[in-house]
Amino acid sequence: MRAHLLAIGWLPWLLAGASVCAADRILSVTIYADDLALIADHRDIDVKGGRQRIEFQDVSAQIRPETVSLTAADIGIVEQNFDFDLLTPAKLMEKAVGREITIVRVNPASGAETREQAEVLATNGGVVLKIGQRIEVLRDDGLPVRVIFDKVPDNLRARPTLSVTITGGRAGTRPATLSYLTPGLGWRADYVALFDEGDNKIDVQGWVTLTNSSGSTYENAQTLLVAGSPSQVDAVARQPNMRYVQQPRPTVQAAGTESGSRERLGDTYLYPLAERTSIANLQTKQVSFLDVRGVPAEHGYEFRNHWLGSADSPQSAKTIYAFSTGAHAGLGDQLPAGVLRIYMRDKRGNPQFIGESRIEHTPMGSTLSLATGDAFDVKVRAVVDKRTRLGPFEWKTDMRYELSNALPKAVTVKLLQEGLWGDARITAESQKSARRSAEVAEWAVTVPANGRADLSATFDTRY
Amino acid sequence: MRPRCPTCLLLTAAIAAFMATSAGGAEVSADAASDLSVTVYRSPYRGSGSIDIDRLGGFALISETRAVRLPAGLSRLRFEGVADGIEPASAIVTGLPDGLVEKNREGALLSPSALLASAAGRSVTLLRSNPKSGKTERVPGKLLADAGGGVVYETAVGIEALRCSGLKESFSFDSAADLSATPTLSVLVRSREPVTATVTLSYLARGFDWAADYTATLSADGATMDLGAWVTLANGNGVGLPNARAQTVAGRVNRVSGEVEPLDIGGPILAQCWPRGSTSDSPGLLQFDRSLAGGGQLKAGRNIATLALAAPAQMTDMMLEAQRVEQEQLGDLKLYRVPERTTVAARQSKQVRLLDRAAIPIKVVYGADLAADADALSIPAVKFLRTMNDAAHRLGLPLPSGGVAVYVEHRGERLLEHESGVRDLAVDEELEISLGASSDVAVTAAREGAVTEPVTPGKAARGAQLDVSERVEISNARASPIQFELRLRVAEGARIVSADHPLERKNGRPIFRLAIPAHASAMLRYQVRHSGG
Repeated sequence: MRAHLLAIGWLPWLLAGASVCAADRILSVTIYADDLALIADHRDIDVKGGRQRIEFQDVSAQIRPETVSLTAADIGIVEQNFDFDLLTPAKLMEKAVGREITIVRVNPASGAETREQAEVLATNGGVVLKIGQRIEVLRDDGLPVRVIFDKVPDNLRARPTLSVTITGGRAGTRPATLSYLTPGLGWRADYVALFDEGDNKIDVQGWVTLTNSSGSTYENAQTLLVAGSPSQVDAVARQPNMRYVQQPRPTVQAAGTESGSRERLGDTYLYPLAERTSIANLQTKQVSFLDVRGVPAEHGYEFRNHWLGSADSPQSAKTIYAFSTGAHAGLGDQLPAGVLRIYMRDKRGNPQFIGESRIEHTPMGSTLSLATGDAFDVKVRAVVDKRTRLGPFEWKTDMRYELSNALPKAVTVKLLQEGLWGDARITAESQKSARRSAEVAEWAVTVPANGRADLSATFDTRY
Repeated sequence: MRPRCPTCLLLTAAIAAFMATSAGGAEVSADAASDLSVTVYRSPYRGSGSIDIDRLGGFALISETRAVRLPAGLSRLRFEGVADGIEPASAIVTGLPDGLVEKNREGALLSPSALLASAAGRSVTLLRSNPKSGKTERVPGKLLADAGGGVVYETAVGIEALRCSGLKESFSFDSAADLSATPTLSVLVRSREPVTATVTLSYLARGFDWAADYTATLSADGATMDLGAWVTLANGNGVGLPNARAQTVAGRVNRVSGEVEPLDIGGPILAQCWPRGSTSDSPGLLQFDRSLAGGGQLKAGRNIATLALAAPAQMTDMMLEAQRVEQEQLGDLKLYRVPERTTVAARQSKQVRLLDRAAIPIKVVYGADLAADADALSIPAVKFLRTMNDAAHRLGLPLPSGGVAVYVEHRGERLLEHESGVRDLAVDEELEISLGASSDVAVTAAREGAVTEPVTPGKAARGAQLDVSERVEISNARASPIQFELRLRVAEGARIVSADHPLERKNGRPIFRLAIPAHASAMLRYQVRHSGG
């Protein structure tokens, strides 16, 4: 087997693609959502019987050697080694300390070569040689000197190498599976949505995007994507429990309760690729998984005032597109986390990009509300008209929100006043609000075409 | 083993060429783009002001129409010459027959280090020049390792390291590996029959940006200004877009994909050696050959194609004949279309006229922005001009954010007075352009006194209240009367209880408006009450 692998290495590059076949190897690659992959390398190994060392050079360059396991019928594992002492000129010289090397002096004037045997005494900062009875520093005079080594030390390798020492019960070729975890492989979803402004419909295509920065290429691999991560180490740190840290705008408005026909693993979804594929190093690969047309979508505006404060200049409202992922009048699928890019046709019918939004893992039947950017023509200015202190921790704030609309049609802006911590009450308001949560009040303000609208509210806040 | 690997059956020398790419299938290149469209978006992170040609943080949507001829069966269709800033995940290919298997962007580019890496473990030819004769010796050998920047090879003589001997050494490779010079996008497509199709490839690419660049020219009497503007768009990519339909989009769009797909742009062959300490102090003679460095950094050269950035606007008559961008609504954004096809070359900035409006009525105002209880503060006032973006003021069109250069007439010459920026302005918004600080108008604020009211018995928790008497003096050294606005920042819970000038409010903030005669100063007094807490 070892000789076999080496032979493959020397094949001309044109036949490189064949190495997989020659090794009679099946790779299956399972990629989790956050930079982790499980590689199962099924191949035949030639067991000679007795103790034997097998080298695997074509594993991921970022292999986590502690996760390696080799399984085959009727073998025992003696030890597994991961050697990362790399063959470099400096290492080669270092390992030659105390040994003989050949030096070839080249006379720059005549071009004549003089060969000498030398013993390497040390390589600290410079190479000290013993030639006959003389001690010299290699190339101290700057003249050309070639150094020739007669062999590569055993433990120096061109790339990190995994080796497994086994004891085979009976001799013969048998299938074996080498499995390990490696970082450097990842995937996410990318969505392309085309919004039709005329009839408020959206076409959505979903792609899984695989990235490989593991330093290795996986030829002809059976690929499975898992929409989740088995790693729980950082899960606590990611919990949004910090009250005052501004949270990113939530995209899922109502979490869905429907199930699709997708394959599941525990509580996560699986996305197997239909065909085998080769994942080259540094390649970005996309495979389609969703294509839905004509889903009803809503276009709206949203403005969030993060605390009871003023702005010196009017701020743009956010442009919002909302649609369902349900089976009825929706995408009819759960969506793995990724980026959704929205396009719209311009007056000449060419699709133009109008913004993008990140989406989280979204169950089927959810309502998604995505902010794509700032509306040029719809703006809101929040103004603190008056703020009075009623007590040590009690304030009365008169807020006014000036909404303007430079579009030739009326728009409705969902205006959210956040930061209502503690006991915050609205004692007066020009339009009825809804309290989305204790901390957020919400109004739906209609602004006439090319016009303005004002909203005022008085807050009584106690901390 | 059974049909695990169907391509094994085809493994003959004749078909080896097909196997050049690992997934197999015929290699097909799409024709060069027959129609190009580029829509430039401004950097979402840049404030107002002009673009920075060395740091183009915006992006563009590029659509290319290309003709392709696909054979029956599986083929790999390559799109060459896409912009180097391509975001591969955003690529959309339309117009293909059904059966698109996957889209790929190869990340390894052809470079000296990539050549070496692909040759590791294979046979190469070593080139070594003889220092006397100058002849190049060709030694066949095998490349053993290229780890850690050092190169070790084996020839019939033994094992040596590259460029450690002081002789001129290099390798000659049998082929250029399977790598392309520029990022190449490819799709694996399965077609039932040979087809000729016109496909459109659209993708987002980084390394673009655009801004509006305004030039305002004040009239001699200071009552009106002429406003002209350019759309300045720049391409920092190494790929040009010839004869393209060009658009820009105004407004801020959301961008979330901060990550860049990894790309191996390669580098020089470093050929690191063993330590080469010397017994003398003279610097080492060994020089690594860095001239091979092919760093594919997006570095925008200053290749400004048309006029200088601050283009003179006195040629207003000529500008009236120049082509202008056409504006249309795109969702909640504004799209500006360059009316004729144009070439957006690699590393180029380009300008097209946005607007020209003459005799816009303006007001020149001096102002200062102070904390209401500031003490011992003396600052120059800021001069700005103000108008409304509406038809009555000869404007009334969306004004995309950008830089503004304000010019004034001086003895028949146009001189630059100040440069600043404007944000995105919708119709009917107030337009304010800063003209910078004016040392002629000085604002001095001082506390005249502070009185603490005693704690009221029975209201112990309320604490004391503090009344501050404030004096603000504004002096005008100019030969003409000025309009002055003092905007105050009042602390939470404080209010202005009395003043000797009428107090107004603007945007929720107290403001005093004063007219100050030529060579005169004005005194303003008010009291601020901080209610006890």
